[in-house]
Amino acid sequence: MAVTTKNLPQLYRFCFLMTGDAAKARSAFQDTVREAATRTDAEEPPPDRLWFFREARERCLALGEQGIQAEPGMLEEADISSGAATQIGQLTPEQLALWISAAPDPQRSALALFYLDEFTLTELLSLLEMKAAELSECICSGRRQFQSWLDATVAYYGEEAYDAGQI
Amino acid sequence: MPDKSELLLGCAPITEKPGMDRAMRVAINHARHGKKAATFGHQQAFDAAIAKLVRDIPVDEQLAEWFAHEKLIPVARRGWKKIVRNPVVIAIAIALLVIGAVTAYRVYEHLNDFPGADKARRLLTVAASNRSVLLDPLQTNAAALSDLFFMKHRLEHYDVPAEFADFKTLGSRVFDDDEVRRVAQIWAKEKRMQFFLFPAEPDKEGKVNDFSDWRFVELEGWTGAVTQRNGVCFMAVVRGGEKDLRAYLEKKKQ
Repeated sequence: MAVTTKNLPQLYRFCFLMTGDAAKARSAFQDTVREAATRTDAEEPPPDRLWFFREARERCLALGEQGIQAEPGMLEEADISSGAATQIGQLTPEQLALWISAAPDPQRSALALFYLDEFTLTELLSLLEMKAAELSECICSGRRQFQSWLDATVAYYGEEAYDAGQI
Repeated sequence: MPDKSELLLGCAPITEKPGMDRAMRVAINHARHGKKAATFGHQQAFDAAIAKLVRDIPVDEQLAEWFAHEKLIPVARRGWKKIVRNPVVIAIAIALLVIGAVTAYRVYEHLNDFPGADKARRLLTVAASNRSVLLDPLQTNAAALSDLFFMKHRLEHYDVPAEFADFKTLGSRVFDDDEVRRVAQIWAKEKRMQFFLFPAEPDKEGKVNDFSDWRFVELEGWTGAVTQRNGVCFMAVVRGGEKDLRAYLEKKKQ
């Protein structure tokens, strides 16, 4: 699939999920698109849309290295509840981005790319350079950790959700 | 340890896209109709809710201008070199080349065809399979056989053209062929050449149009030079190419 400016909002969303910060996301996004434009001018255009996300991932990870690093396996996990969708509905995109950007990589990249709902499984595996089992493990544990965080942050009582507080 | 379908379900797509892997489709189908339907349903609802939240990520106005700037990422055009190196293009080009060559050969083969060319080719097969012992021995000039054919077999205008009239003969015969009808065959000493005389083929309108020039037919290494006079075709046959016969025809012209 060719990359056009119509694909760029998804690229920005990816940067935002990876960094959890609008300014950092903008920086990673702009640098990636500029690099693509430079390569195109030099008759070496990006081969496909995956290139944009690989490039942006590297930039986001580099920006993330400047802050505190998360360690794997530090979060509690919980089974996905039937009211999870309602709990999630109480969140803002910024809260979600903060949570994902705090995850250790490659789980962070896996969650960000997966929830863009943009790629096939084959594309995801190619982007992340991992096997299906590893990707599945990253996403499953991410879900359970997020549910645990949801339970601690956004309480759920039947059909109504109760926001226990801001993160 | 989770099995393969459980692993696949872990990263089941949020919205099903075209070209989804068959194993993934099967795993999803089983999950939806199996014991874990409720758990999988919760997972799908969970994923869909997060995906919706991701779609709601705001993009500031300053950045939105980048999306509208169509020339920011020029559409990469595929260079002609890349197109030419594509195996599919190469395969199609080779196929077209072969079809073109075969068609050109067939067109060339029939370019100088004349009514009776098929008969002439049939007689080339006769020439290829014949031995001189099958013919009645007769040593004379080829021209002298015209009288023999007329007197003995009542074959009118079965004349050997001037180009080959002086050739010494080894033998001759007259035979009936299912398609060619009455055929007179002469075996010459010169290069083991054979001559055939046979009735001309009328054209589509039923007319027999004579031609005084020489027209060539080829079949499996044998070549015949044909001329048609008075409703009778004469064909000189030699094993070899057109140039082997042309030498005799041009010699006579000089």
